[in-house]
This record gives sequence, structure tokens and C-alpha cells, in this order.
Amino acid sequence: MAESPLSAAPVTEPSVVSDSGRKGLSGGVVSRVDLALRLGLLGIIIVVGIYFAIRTIPSGNLSDIGQSTFISTGNLQNIARQMAVVGVLAVGETFVIITAGIDLSIGAVLGFSGIIAAQRFIAGWPTPAVIVTVLLLGIGIGLVNGFLVGGAKVPPFIVTLGMLGIARGAAYLAGNGLNTSLSPTGEPVPFSNWASDTSLLGIPNIFLVLAAVGIAGELFLRYTRRGRYVYALGSNPEAARLSGVNVLAIIVLVYAISGCLASMAGLLQTGRLNGANPNNGLGNELDAIAAVVLGGASLFGARGNIIGTFFGLVLINELANGIDLIGADAHVQQAVEGLLLIVIVWVDQWRKRRIASA
Amino acid sequence: METNERSSGGTMPDSPAKANNVPILQARNVSKHFGSVSALENVDFELYPNEILAVVGDNGAGKSTLIKILSGAYQPDEGELLMDGQHVSFKNPMDARRHGIETVYQDLALAAALDIASNLFLGREERRAGLVGSLLRALDKVRMRREAADHMSSLKIGLRSMRQPVETLSGGQRQGVAVARAVSWGKRVVIMDEPTAALGVKESGMVLELIKAVKARGVPVVLISHNLPHVFQVADRILVMRLGKRAGIAKPGEQTMEDVVALMTGASRAEIAAAAG
Repeated sequence: MAESPLSAAPVTEPSVVSDSGRKGLSGGVVSRVDLALRLGLLGIIIVVGIYFAIRTIPSGNLSDIGQSTFISTGNLQNIARQMAVVGVLAVGETFVIITAGIDLSIGAVLGFSGIIAAQRFIAGWPTPAVIVTVLLLGIGIGLVNGFLVGGAKVPPFIVTLGMLGIARGAAYLAGNGLNTSLSPTGEPVPFSNWASDTSLLGIPNIFLVLAAVGIAGELFLRYTRRGRYVYALGSNPEAARLSGVNVLAIIVLVYAISGCLASMAGLLQTGRLNGANPNNGLGNELDAIAAVVLGGASLFGARGNIIGTFFGLVLINELANGIDLIGADAHVQQAVEGLLLIVIVWVDQWRKRRIASA
Repeated sequence: METNERSSGGTMPDSPAKANNVPILQARNVSKHFGSVSALENVDFELYPNEILAVVGDNGAGKSTLIKILSGAYQPDEGELLMDGQHVSFKNPMDARRHGIETVYQDLALAAALDIASNLFLGREERRAGLVGSLLRALDKVRMRREAADHMSSLKIGLRSMRQPVETLSGGQRQGVAVARAVSWGKRVVIMDEPTAALGVKESGMVLELIKAVKARGVPVVLISHNLPHVFQVADRILVMRLGKRAGIAKPGEQTMEDVVALMTGASRAEIAAAAG
């Protein structure tokens, strides 16, 4: 044949592009959009951080920025601790959202797992036994979610909304609706001490758990076969099925991961607070979803990663902490977070459309 | 009419050159009913090695029913399937794929958000050598990209970056990726369902060249198309379907498009010529 049938159309044969009416973007463009979004988010994080740092200088004098409460070690550790619990939830939610699913049950699973963990500690179980039991509980709940979504084909929104109710109800029933303290008589359990402690370089232990979970999650998604199937499933489940991917297994896997991480978050929360309340985690699923979406994931699937989710988390927690420090009403924080979510996703959509039609 | 009007099985009088050739894929006397509707009646089909066989017919002629039987999506009510003269039966599309029959569907079964290399290797990713691969299960992305690029260039598909997401490609380029995927990994038969339906003139030309490139690699192609000019450009033989039956076989060069239209519609050639004139 005279010429290659599909020779790099956008580059060497611009007429092909006009024939088909579609734009052939070079590979770099999409990742550049991704990068721009990431940098945009990082920029917002830095600007917001500087604002709070200046607003919380006790003397009000800019030269005393070193004394700023917001960027003090204690406060940064505090932010890191607060981030850790919702962060572990958000890592699991990232997996689910990439498959174009959603897991609304994670906040309630956190609450339920936290109560169970507290009761097992009080019953005198050794720490490893408590950890294994609680994680298995979360995996079990995730498996049920996964089989209902992938096998019974019930929409994920419905399945996990139902599971939210079940798990929250179970948390109240198990805890009698009351606070369960890990140390009613005095000394906290060792796990609680560990969860509130900091390690090397002053980084809180539970933040290290988030870091480990996040890195493992990112490596899994990026470098393993199943990780790739998570994206393939979110992009075109039929294509994945025709390629021999066991679609049900992948769906069950992501909901099991989400359930497992939700119960891990419950465990960390119980340790950190040295007790559990059946209300723990209330609404945290929405914080997790917000972090995932702020991080560039699409609710329509196939987009997003853990690094983006992490940036989303930092922004949300920075806002919550800073608004609290400057003495504004706690509800202002909720409203600002909601507004920011809409604006950032809106700008992102607008930019993507502009690039697509460029 | 010099085409072969046949409704029974047997050897192929219309292809003496291939008469001693065993069809790579064959259907004998297949019928398919949906309730009282008979979609396919005693149809014979044979695909020989190294040919492009077009299947044409009006809507409702039974093209897609026949193709779905060949690709395992439907099971025939009567009749039998053979590959290399051996009896086969496909319980589902995966079964047909395992026998080396790959179908490129109209709606392109690609994961658009993934890049070209990922789509080519979807379902058979390669891991890295050593412990990183066996223990940590890490994928060998570099090798997969390199092999994908080699494979694409062997089909003369000149896409530059294997890291390009499929959703950023034009329709013809996507078709190229889907076809490249279909002929990779030792596939024996490629079935293409309306590959040029959604494409512009130039992109259609590229896809037709690609179909020839697939044949040149020794993989026979079954091409379903409404577009007779496209069919006449590439097909070695044309199987014409009409009202669920095999109306005949035509050959570009021996028969004209009017002949094929006559077979498709049941009108006489004189009537077609009169209508065209």
C-alpha cells in the first residue's frame, strides 16, 4: 500500500482530523490537564495555608509569622491526625469511584467498627486479635456490598445507602447508643497510646498508617493487573468482560477494600479518642467523596488516583482546621467546603471542555 | 445470473481455486428462530484461509444473526459449525474467542480512558521479570508499550505514542486499535461488524487498507457492511443474504454492484439497471 493506513493522523495528516470531525489530541495533553488540576489544587492549598498562617499570628504582626498558631508543630500534627481517619476512608472510596461506583456506607462502617473495637479492647482481647476481627468485619460488609452490586446488579448508591442504615443501626444497638470508653478506670489501652502518639520526626503514628495505606493503594492501582482492571471496569465494563477480565471479582474486590479501610479508620478513630461513640464517622463518607472528587476523580469512573485524593484531603482538613482556629463558626467550614467542591469541579469541567474543543 | 444459487451444503463450485482447501471456519445448514420468526434458514457459510469475505444484505436479511452465531453470541437451532473441518460449538463469545475468532464490534469494545498499550494488552498484561513481577505482581509497562508499538507498526498503523488514551483518538484510529487488538495474540479469524459505518471518507479508506493488511498477515477477515463500494474495494468474495437465506456468492471483478443489489433485493438485473439509469 502507498501509505500507512492510519499514519499518525493529528500530526502528519491534519485533514484526517477534519474528515472525522474529531480532535486527535497528542498523548501529553490529557496528562497535562491532570497536572494542571493537581498544581491548581496545590496552589489553592498553599494560598489558603498562607492566609491561615497570617491570620493566626498571635501578635497580628507579620514579622512574627514564626509564632503563627496554624503552622505550629502541634497544630500541623493535629491536622495530620484529623486527616488520617478520613484519609483512610478516602483511599478506599477512590477505588470504588474509579469503577464508577460509590460507597456511602463507609462512615457508618467506621462507627460500627469503632464500637466493636472498643468492646473487644474492654473485653481484654490482645491488640492483634482486635485488629484482625475488626478488619474482617469491614471486609465482610464490603463483600456483601460487592456481591450485591456486581452479582445482583443492584445500583451501588442503593446498596451502600442501605448498608449505611444497617451499619449505623448496628452501631447504636451494639453500643446501646452510648459512649464506650476504652479506659473507664484510668489507664488507656496500649493501642490507644500508640494511636495518639507521634513517631520519628514528630509525625503522628496514625498519619503513617494513612501514608502506608495510600502508597500501597497507589502502587496497586498503577502497577498491577487488577489495578488496571479497576480503571478498565470504570471505563467500559463490557470491554473489560470481553477481554476476559472477571468483572464480578474486581467489583467485589474494590468494595471489600473500601469496607476493610472503613473498619481500619474506625479502629484508628477509637484508638485516637480512647473510646467509641455510635455517632462516629457520621457524614464522613461525604468528606471522603469530596476529597476523591477534589483530587480529580470522576463519578463516571476511570479517572482519579490516590495522590489526587491526598491533595483533596489536605485542602479539606486545612480549611476545617484553619476556620476553627480563626474563631469562625464551625458551620462556616461546612459551607465553605461545599462551595469549594462545586467551584473546583466546575472549573475543572470547564477547562477540560475548553481543551477538548481547542 | 452466474452466481451460485445454493441452499444445500457441499463443496464450493464457485471457488475452484480453493476447492481442495479446507475452510478455516464453516457453518453448515444453520437455522435460527426467534419464536415464530425464522431469522436464518439453512444457511451455509465458509471462510477460506487468506481471504476477505464480505457479508452483505438488507436489514433483516440475517447478517447479524449469522455473525452472532459465528462469534458465539447465539447458538444455532439447527446446523453445525466447523473449524478446519472439525466440529466445534461455541457456548458464548468467550468460547469463540478461545478458538481464535475475534469480533470487532461496531460499538468498539475498548476501554476509552486507558491508553493504547493498555487496551492492546487488556486481559493479558505482562508482568516484570524476577521478584518484582512474581512477588509484587508489578506490570512490565515498558515492555508492553514496546510490543504494542511493534505490533501497531507491523499493521502499518502509525500511531506515535502508545501512552495516548484511546478517547483522544479519531474514529478511524480507534478502529485501528480495535483491529490491532483483534489480530494480536495469534487470532485465526477476525470478524468486523460495519467497521466503516461511523467514519468519514479518508478514515474509511484507512480502515479498508488495514483490513487488507490483516489479510496480508495471513488472518482471514469476515467483513459485514452496508457499503457496497467499500466491499468491492477489499473483498475477495461476497456472501449475499436475503430474507434469512443465502442468496448467493458474488466476486468483485466477475459481478457488478448491480448484480449484488439484484441478489440482495430479489429484483432482476434489468430492473436494477432501469432504476439506476
